Amino acid sequence: MTAIARRNAKTWRKLGKKAVPYLLVLPVALYYAAFWLRPVLISVINSFTSDAGRFTLENFSLVLREESFLPALRNTTVFVVFSVTLEFLGALSLALLINRKFKGAGFFLFLAMIPMALPAAAVGAMWITGFTAHGWINSLLQYVGLLAEGGKIYWLVGSHAKLMTLMIIIDAWQVIPSVMIILLAGLQNIPPEVQEAGYVFGGNYRQVLRKITLPLLAPTIQTAMILRLISAIQVWLIVVLILGYSRMPFLVERVVYYTKEVDLLYIANEMAGGYTMIVAIVVSLAALFYLRVSGAFKRARE
Amino acid sequence: MATLTLTHITKRFGRDVVAVKDFSLEVPDREFLVLLGPSGCGKTTTLRMIAGLEEATEGTIEIDGVDVTDLPPRKRDVSMVFQNYAVWPHMTVYDNIAYALKLKRMDKQTISTMVKEAATLTKIDQLLDRFPAQLSGGQQQRVAVARAIAVRPKLFLMDEPLSNLDAKLRAATRTELKAIHAKTEATSVFVTHDQAEAMSLADRIVIMKDGGIIQIGSPDDVYHRSANLFVADFIGTPPTNFMNVELEVENGQCQLAGPHFTCVLSAENAAKIEDHDQRQLVLGVRPESILIVSEDDAVLSAECLVSEPQGSHQIVAIELGDKIVKIIAPAHPVIAPGETVHLTFDQEALAFFDKETGLRI
Amino acid sequence: MTRRKPVNLAKAARTTTFYILVVGVAAAMLLPVYFIVSLSFLSVREAYSYPLPLVPALETHFKLTPGKRGYLVSVYDRIEGAYESVLDTKELQKMSEYMRYQLATPVTIEDLEQQVARLETEDEVYFTRRRNLLANYQTFFGVAGYNAVPALIRSLQICALTIVISLSIGGMAGYAFARYVFKGKDLLKFSVLFVRMYPGVAIALPMIKILANMNFYDRPIGLSLVYSIGNIALTVWITASIFMGIPESLEEAAQVFGASKARAFLRITLPLALPGLAAAAMYAFLGAWNETVAAIILTTFNPTFSVVVFQTVLGSVGQVNLAAAGGMAMALPAVIFTFFIRRYIHQMWGGVTV
Repeated sequence: MTAIARRNAKTWRKLGKKAVPYLLVLPVALYYAAFWLRPVLISVINSFTSDAGRFTLENFSLVLREESFLPALRNTTVFVVFSVTLEFLGALSLALLINRKFKGAGFFLFLAMIPMALPAAAVGAMWITGFTAHGWINSLLQYVGLLAEGGKIYWLVGSHAKLMTLMIIIDAWQVIPSVMIILLAGLQNIPPEVQEAGYVFGGNYRQVLRKITLPLLAPTIQTAMILRLISAIQVWLIVVLILGYSRMPFLVERVVYYTKEVDLLYIANEMAGGYTMIVAIVVSLAALFYLRVSGAFKRARE
Repeated sequence: MATLTLTHITKRFGRDVVAVKDFSLEVPDREFLVLLGPSGCGKTTTLRMIAGLEEATEGTIEIDGVDVTDLPPRKRDVSMVFQNYAVWPHMTVYDNIAYALKLKRMDKQTISTMVKEAATLTKIDQLLDRFPAQLSGGQQQRVAVARAIAVRPKLFLMDEPLSNLDAKLRAATRTELKAIHAKTEATSVFVTHDQAEAMSLADRIVIMKDGGIIQIGSPDDVYHRSANLFVADFIGTPPTNFMNVELEVENGQCQLAGPHFTCVLSAENAAKIEDHDQRQLVLGVRPESILIVSEDDAVLSAECLVSEPQGSHQIVAIELGDKIVKIIAPAHPVIAPGETVHLTFDQEALAFFDKETGLRI
Repeated sequence: MTRRKPVNLAKAARTTTFYILVVGVAAAMLLPVYFIVSLSFLSVREAYSYPLPLVPALETHFKLTPGKRGYLVSVYDRIEGAYESVLDTKELQKMSEYMRYQLATPVTIEDLEQQVARLETEDEVYFTRRRNLLANYQTFFGVAGYNAVPALIRSLQICALTIVISLSIGGMAGYAFARYVFKGKDLLKFSVLFVRMYPGVAIALPMIKILANMNFYDRPIGLSLVYSIGNIALTVWITASIFMGIPESLEEAAQVFGASKARAFLRITLPLALPGLAAAAMYAFLGAWNETVAAIILTTFNPTFSVVVFQTVLGSVGQVNLAAAGGMAMALPAVIFTFFIRRYIHQMWGGVTV
């Protein structure tokens, strides 16, 4: 009898021990269920529900019929493609640059972190005061002699392409440092011997970079890029701060517009819900597509 | 001071991985026992089960006759030196040693005395105010040992404590550990994969492979009376030379015939293997049991492949068929590669193994 | 005779180019920051002059002459290099206010009376007064319309709550991630991605109702619940890499020497993890402090500091220097915390990759 009791006690204790990690993770799971999954489900359901509470696709057709939908989609796509590419290249070159140990590298790293630490509102204030006709950028150009005295460049006036370029540059200014820091951490995790071996066997800088460093950095690049991709699709704040609503529509900008700016409009909820779903779908597709193309699934299985 | 009894201990990780299987062992009071084996043989898992850091899937562990199988580590009255020392970096050397004593609610005065005693024994009494980051690897190792002996445990467990030290320091610390054991007389279980370390420290060695015990014996036993081919190969540097031979009986005289030599056996050796039913055997000869002799007395002659001078002796390698045979020869005369050496076996040190089972005959 | 080592010209050139590049990049990153700092110290008049002054003036030089309507006030313009007339009035009260608000130079009426009195004997009166460099900040925080101070307090509350929530919940999971093998570990690892894949704005909308039901809407606790969603995932990553960096054998050693599992964690692992956990806390602070989007949607009467700054910037056509001051007030704690945790920000990304 005591033997059975003992075995029972042992079984319970083992179960208890096995449960420890699950108990530790449980709060996260509950939290996500309550404050992430629940709102997500609600918003998915809402986007398919009419005012009368029936299933409908009307919300989406409203969105598709809106004249700024296509421009918003196009702007978002162009922005994502160019800004992510630019930011990746910029961040990678910066990371490779800093990865060489030089005097003041630590301080430089801190300087590089300042843009990413700045709140969006501060960044907005920074650039809007810069790009106005009598802003500090024109002033600076005048001081260094690139602009005639009293001359002005009207940055925020002009073609669509010009404004888009500005947005991409502003975004890159803030984002490159954070991408760089992720890449730099990855670079410093690569043992230097691996690269040194490449040089010893006759590789030049470019070959070593292409054949050794970048493949080893691939998982890090992937982490950085996927995070970047996800947030680039959701860009809006900086655009609104500098150009205001509706001037250059973006997908998420539309969501905020219908939620906050014209929330009394009778179709505001429908529009916001429809746009939200579209953004969610675009983000998921882009993330999956990227993970697939970059081979993350293959790696995860290994 | 205590005895340790392990009865039918088995450890499984998940469903398929068996790290230790049916392991039974008795360690008498004051013994210095070494668990020796290649990496992955289950020796560290066994030690961690004794410490209580892993739970045994089956079997019981008793310390001094008390069943501790289900007790957490803190209730077992054991102490341990970890492979990476596990010296707490945020405590001074003094606090590292004193922490276990504080947990036992001893008064300050006693703690101070015991810490100093342990520190003196391990020669770190000058370093008590330092933090581990300010110490060398060897000094950290001493702190780990001091911490372990200060609590005066029933059982003293060591998990490859010397493997992170450089060769010279390792040999020196080995000697000191043995001296400390002589003084404290704590029953000790020591895990290592280094057979030289095991030989020099152990009262008894347990040789493990694939989670099971292969042989238990004194250093002398495992070296001279290896239980099977694995032990004979694992113990000793260079390892035992193995040769496939056939036993022939002619005119009532036993002799071994190999592809490269024939050797008449002494009466004792003959008596040992006469009754064995297999004629195909494996002959095991330790490198120092192959003697260089004059041509007339030689059992076999071969060309020297290379010789490695070691100062006190030289290791001569010859090629027999596709096998390299190593011989420990006196340092002089120096044998040059290409030189022919004439060899015979020390009959008293020959070992015979069954070709199929690998067991000693 | 010893020969001096010849200078390697190619190498020197490379080094020089390298440093020029480094300085260039640093400049590109810092120039905008410099200008907004400088702008936040400018007076209204300076902020609307063109080109903008590179450095804020520390004092204002005044010239007083008899004017058509009363007294003509002129101010020295550093860029033009001459005095420019700015105001013609008889009322000293108005003059003093103009000086205080437009020129950020406090001059008392008594002082002005004295200067005006000098005009009796002199044709032109010159005097110089110290500028109030913090004028924009004082206005930003002082003017009731901006609600900056209560918003600041709310923001701090939100940050503190977010830190508590994400560190306790995320820290536990991070410990599990570092020390145990369990089902769903990959899911936990990828959660940092999938909680971001759904737009934050989209979550904020249904959260209005959820929070309202809990009676948390428009209150600090409500926003901190929302902020913790993204922060928990990050905290799991950060704390997991911190705990991975602390060898498990340290905890095991304590257990062998007489501590229970819980005590070993509290006495050994926790103190060693503390600096890293502080960094994780600061990271959570930054996230909550900087967040604007959800805050705009989830507040009506009780905006956060970031919303106040956002509104100031958005409506800043008339007051760029105020917007700059608000922006800087927001940026300052962010930059300070970044300075403290820069090592960890760097380190945390080394630990885990998707």
